[in-house]
Amino acid sequence: MIDTLYATDALNSPKAFFLALLIGLFFGIFLEQAGFGSSRKLAGVFYFKDMAVIKVMFSAVVTAMLGLSCFLAMGWVQVDAIYLLPTIYGSQIVGGLIFGVGFVVSGWCPGTAAAGLASGKLDALVALIGALLGSILFSEIYPAVKGIASAGDRGVLSVFDSLGLSKPMFVFLFVVVAIICFWLCEKLEKAKASKTVHVSSTFLRAFSLILVVFAGALFIFPTSQETGADERSAAAVDLGDGAILISPELEKNLLAGVEEAVDHIEPTDLADRMMRGDRDLIVVDVRSPLEYNRFHLKGAVNVALPELADHLLPYKNNGLIVLYSNGMTHPAQARDSLFRLGFRNVYILTDGLAGFMEQCLKPASVRSEPLSSKTAKRIQAWRSYFYSKADARAETK
Amino acid sequence: MSTLQTAKKSFMNPYLAGVFLGLTLLAAFLILGAGLGASAGIARVAAFCEMCLLPGHTLNSEYFGRYGENPLSYYLVFMFIGVVLGGAMSSMLFGRTELTVERGANCAAGRRLTYALVGGLLVGFASRMASGCTSGQALTGTALLLTGSFVFLVFVFAGGYAAAYFVRKQWHD
Repeated sequence: MIDTLYATDALNSPKAFFLALLIGLFFGIFLEQAGFGSSRKLAGVFYFKDMAVIKVMFSAVVTAMLGLSCFLAMGWVQVDAIYLLPTIYGSQIVGGLIFGVGFVVSGWCPGTAAAGLASGKLDALVALIGALLGSILFSEIYPAVKGIASAGDRGVLSVFDSLGLSKPMFVFLFVVVAIICFWLCEKLEKAKASKTVHVSSTFLRAFSLILVVFAGALFIFPTSQETGADERSAAAVDLGDGAILISPELEKNLLAGVEEAVDHIEPTDLADRMMRGDRDLIVVDVRSPLEYNRFHLKGAVNVALPELADHLLPYKNNGLIVLYSNGMTHPAQARDSLFRLGFRNVYILTDGLAGFMEQCLKPASVRSEPLSSKTAKRIQAWRSYFYSKADARAETK
Repeated sequence: MSTLQTAKKSFMNPYLAGVFLGLTLLAAFLILGAGLGASAGIARVAAFCEMCLLPGHTLNSEYFGRYGENPLSYYLVFMFIGVVLGGAMSSMLFGRTELTVERGANCAAGRRLTYALVGGLLVGFASRMASGCTSGQALTGTALLLTGSFVFLVFVFAGGYAAAYFVRKQWHD
């Protein structure tokens, strides 16, 4: 199992700085080798003259995507060891549009401008100065634009979940689309007699074949290993024998509870209670055993949804029952079902395991908000408790 | 300079260059636990510059203030330095280093540099808006199959193709 610097909260250590420099070195070398130290070549993609941007970028994305999928599927690295950017529609749509305009006007993006500067391009130097000013401008007017920058925050969201596909199916389709793009790019450049690096069709055929075989091989692995997979199939949660008495009064009470969110427990609250070892607390992981074995909150028990009511009967209205999954759909449905069965002490974890990771276990060093030293200490305490090898991680090694 | 130009070697096969970039990105995932990034390094340098001029204002500002008193102490600043060094090594070894303003033969250097400045400003602003650029969002985020990064990528191309016509003259020969 690989422990990344992010997972060990060492991303801002001298060791990380050195390794980042080294990785940046290779990043710069291959950007320059690809011809991305030239603004003319970069801008060519917007005039259908030089399609290198598409070819290089999609090859890079597909390579990293297939490589990482393989590492994850083999269990060599865990998905929570890698920092995942949240999906914030407002920021990414508005930011993307402005970025695209800036890219074609200047002929540079930040990484390529660095490579361009390194090859002596003065327009790259000027573009970088512009980018410095643009960053300052953003910081200065941040209070006015933060509404856009935080609009449509969906947290960490996988594209295959958004599209309702399985992960290997999405990866496979993406690879096929990339290959089609490659062939179209070559055709286009040939038709326009562009002066670009010649690639033989034999090479392209072999490259395409390797990618398809690689992507196809990922279907071997079961698909429920990644986060969020269970939330979509949440159509029906049947908890009991089906004979559930539904009374309008009961439903009213249930919905009143939902409105007041009295059925929620905050991640930080739960983390403290679990660390304290509260005796009357029972934490239930309702995900698949596969996911539970990969990672679960230390001390949580794994119970399948159909067995939930039977399993929790001894704890009915006795102590505190907390249900969690990756998200909130399953636990919320299960909690409502248990309410109908008379349980009044069932709570769901706000924002699920994803929220717990974000609020309690995300290393202090990568958080964007300022933290007091007291908060940083709490985070450190939670991390060392919930990541201690005794339980959570050792099982999967 | 003329000897350098005759020795100019052609660029790498773009697909192989892409594979190598992808492997670099994979190494970043496995070693750092975070992908590649370029714009964050620029923003940190920008915060540092502002801090030199107006320390109190910068520290109290809602955005740059988060970087703390030492904004340069961040792994992506070092990655950015690495990119410049790697780019310089590669372009020198292959005889491609040349002090120049890249533009179409019929475009004055002044126009090209104005475009570079204005475009750069937009790129810098937009990278903060989106919390990432072509490296952090379009490359890293899509390889991690994140919805927002795919959205970003689509809108980068939408913005680029929409504006391309209006700035085409800088490349006219």
